[in-house]
Amino acid sequence: MKRKISVILSLLFLFILFWAQWNWKHLSSFPSIISSFYSKEYCSCYFVMQLSEEQCHDFARQWVPISEFKLDKENTSVTVKGLGRTNTAKYLSKEYGCTLVTE
Amino acid sequence: MKRSLIFLLLLTFLQCSKDLSPFGGEPEVTTLNPRLKPEWPNPNWKVVPPESVGVSTNKLKLAEEYAFTRTGDETDRKGRRTDALVILRNGKLIYEKYARNFSEDKVHLTWSVSKSILQTMYGIAVKAGLVKLDDPGYYHYEPLSRDEAHKKITIRHLLNMSSGLAAEEGYESGPLKSSVIAMLYTRGRKDMGSFCAGLPLRAEPGTQVYYSSCDTNILSAILKKVYGVEEYDKLPFEKIFKPLGITNVTFERDGSGTYIGSSYLYMTAKDLAKIGYLYLNDGVWNGERLLPEGWVQFTRTPAPGYKTTPYSEDLAEDNYTAHWYANTGVPERGIHEPWPDAPKDTFAGLGHWGQMLYVIPSLDLIIVRFGDDREKAFIKNDFLKLVKESVIR
Repeated sequence: MKRKISVILSLLFLFILFWAQWNWKHLSSFPSIISSFYSKEYCSCYFVMQLSEEQCHDFARQWVPISEFKLDKENTSVTVKGLGRTNTAKYLSKEYGCTLVTE
Repeated sequence: MKRSLIFLLLLTFLQCSKDLSPFGGEPEVTTLNPRLKPEWPNPNWKVVPPESVGVSTNKLKLAEEYAFTRTGDETDRKGRRTDALVILRNGKLIYEKYARNFSEDKVHLTWSVSKSILQTMYGIAVKAGLVKLDDPGYYHYEPLSRDEAHKKITIRHLLNMSSGLAAEEGYESGPLKSSVIAMLYTRGRKDMGSFCAGLPLRAEPGTQVYYSSCDTNILSAILKKVYGVEEYDKLPFEKIFKPLGITNVTFERDGSGTYIGSSYLYMTAKDLAKIGYLYLNDGVWNGERLLPEGWVQFTRTPAPGYKTTPYSEDLAEDNYTAHWYANTGVPERGIHEPWPDAPKDTFAGLGHWGQMLYVIPSLDLIIVRFGDDREKAFIKNDFLKLVKESVIR
């Protein structure tokens, strides 16, 4: 019985390994989504649409919570950390709004 | 065991090649009637009471109630969450209301309505003779020359959402493999056009309709090559917004300075209505033709690729045309009108989370609705029915 379980577990592990390798390009970039989405959408919400800070947090919030947030009004930028990755979006001008600047 | 495996394989095979035979006739796209005395907003729309243009104020109230009554939890972002509603009849403003801190001078994210304005940029480029609809994209944009299959993708295919590129347009539903999320926020964000041109093909270009933000951003990158960086930077502002008197507008770009035509145009509701009015007037603004003849007809005609797109349940949801949507139905594919209670000639630019620009030529109506709907609580057909019923003559 014990042997059966360990065979099943190692097969499952192998399957996950193959799946992860197969999908590596998706998996490796995935954690960055949280902070890049939050910083970009917050930046545009605050500097382009000119809504309140509270409204912009509500606008950019996702299911996965973020761990750090910095709104730099002087430099018109928004920096967010989530799932271990940090991203910054910067407001450039009225015409061109915000863009992601890190990496 | 072997037999049942063969049977299963056969079954899968049959599922893959679903019926492609025609269901009915051609979609009916009537031509626009020439408008004898259009009103031009110089610089702003003329405001009139609804009754003066044959619309019942009382019945319009029902559309207002539908749009502005909160039906869900605000903190959970549920229910109908309208930010702005603007309605015009006969080129005059008859209704305007804002909520959730928006006002007439605040721009709003239009999400995929941006695609329809990127299409306007193409109308202008075609009229100037800089591109032709049937030009292969690689004529102008090197990343599309990666192999013979990609070289077959034309500008028309891209405008018809029929490039055949294997994009995955999932947002919240499948973020891991979504190419639109990768394009906007991670692997593609520095240069969206080249990221998208690098996708493999899932179908022969022109043969299958698949709504894809990638198709739009390739189109945007092509325009940058066609015009050159300096002229491209000014293009939407000089060639579209300025002639229409639109000054309060933001169009965001990717890391390489390409307009993110798929998603990031910000406008006021009344200014977006001007885009609708340009199309209602067949591409003519204040006597000057901005879009080529036949462009609005092209805008209102369902993508030809529907004829060979395998049938699926999702297919019946929309009638994509050339970066806009139609209410014609596509009888050949068994696709009905997406808004059966709205006039059949209604066409629209539509975006994520409830952004809408409706043009209804037969009623001479333009409707702009902005919102932040995180679930499908705002039923377009129900809302359009109420607006249609407010028209008394």
